[in-house]
Amino acid sequence: MSRKSIGIVDYGVGNHTSVQRAFHALNYRCRTTSDPELLAASDVIVLPGVGAHPAAMSALHTRGLVEFLRERARGGQPMIGLCLGMQLLADESLEHGATAGLGLIPGQVVSLGPAHWHIGWNTIEVVNADKLLLPSDGHSVYFNHSYVFNAPQEYQVCVARLKQPIPVGVRRGNVVGLQFHPEKSQHAGRIMLRNLVEGLTCA
Amino acid sequence: MLKKRLIGVVIVRDGWAVQSFNYRRYLPLGKPEVLIENLDRWGADEILLQCIDRSSEQSGPNFPLLNRVGSLGLSTPLIYAGGIRHAADAVKVVSMGADRISVDSILWDAPQHLESISRELGTQALIANMPVHVNNNNLFWRNYRTEEEVHLTDRILAKLPLEWISEVMLTDWSHEGVAGSFDLRIPALCPLVEKPLLLFGGLSEPAQHRSMLSKPSVVATCVGNFLNYKEHAIQKIKQQMSGIPLRAAQYAVEAELL
Repeated sequence: MSRKSIGIVDYGVGNHTSVQRAFHALNYRCRTTSDPELLAASDVIVLPGVGAHPAAMSALHTRGLVEFLRERARGGQPMIGLCLGMQLLADESLEHGATAGLGLIPGQVVSLGPAHWHIGWNTIEVVNADKLLLPSDGHSVYFNHSYVFNAPQEYQVCVARLKQPIPVGVRRGNVVGLQFHPEKSQHAGRIMLRNLVEGLTCA
Repeated sequence: MLKKRLIGVVIVRDGWAVQSFNYRRYLPLGKPEVLIENLDRWGADEILLQCIDRSSEQSGPNFPLLNRVGSLGLSTPLIYAGGIRHAADAVKVVSMGADRISVDSILWDAPQHLESISRELGTQALIANMPVHVNNNNLFWRNYRTEEEVHLTDRILAKLPLEWISEVMLTDWSHEGVAGSFDLRIPALCPLVEKPLLLFGGLSEPAQHRSMLSKPSVVATCVGNFLNYKEHAIQKIKQQMSGIPLRAAQYAVEAELL
């Protein structure tokens, strides 16, 4: 049986090395590329990201990837957004002014407010009984962000608690967004990545 | 709930991991990659790779080392420090596998770059490292290249654009490398009130970690040399920290995933 393939979107922003190594460690074939043909041929597209939303959207536009990602999501290709990559899935972000996102999952990215930052290891709580994430319920994963994706409750799949619960996982069909860094969350993160890839590609 | 963190530190000089004493004397330990791999395996909450000679020599970040560390496929968040001069350096460091960066010299030389780095990477990615020591119940901040010190006051802090950094690491440089010697007065003497603190330098004993991590302003303690004397040192410290909101000790179980 051939190994499943992961297409990691290279748009010049972020931590591709870490993400690629994590999927390699799980024995998947990985390509980090901005070539739409190669990404489309992958079993799962992964959209990583570190930094600010406007710069990331600008980089996706420059590489002609915005409409491509929308089409692949509409067509049902599994897609996982990580950290900033999750926030790019939203309708818009208010980071450094309003910027339109990919619009793949309804919602708006807003500042964490008085909390300022969410840095370190926090426990996630799976909501809406999402089957792919349920095995990770109660696990600690690594966060490093200052904006949050406020998605409607029906799209939320996991939350973490600061003073109040905040959405840290969203899903709409085959498109999943995770606010944390599963690639840097040791064993807990790798279990989650494996479950997501296997679950999203089993149909 | 959000956990406090135990950060493993690897100090690098001339490309080699070293055991440091007060950042004045050094003993070679070996390849940094080996120590970093250990910390990853032992379940450190974050790993800080601190290259201490890059700014003095104006040589920029140690990209070849970052490349080698990146190839390890770490599953632990990595903080890189050393030689970062501007946003382009910072972005490249992150693209090579670091999750966050820590800056020191830039606070003295070009603090205006904090904003551009933060706009590229996000404020959450940026840590300010401030070497300090206590004298007559006052906290002094040291420029390690010139060896000048200034009394760390609100007036000094107001000159720094600290709105662009997320956390401040206070390094008790004069006790660094000396077991059990961290000056426990440091967090209370620090005039920073809104920035979460990371503490480093002479923190070796679980009782010290417990005392410091019990303070609301302290979100992490950092350990360097003392982790190199025994196997699974991170887990052993964590096992003695019950009651402190640290992530439980982790043990390598990767094989079952494949």
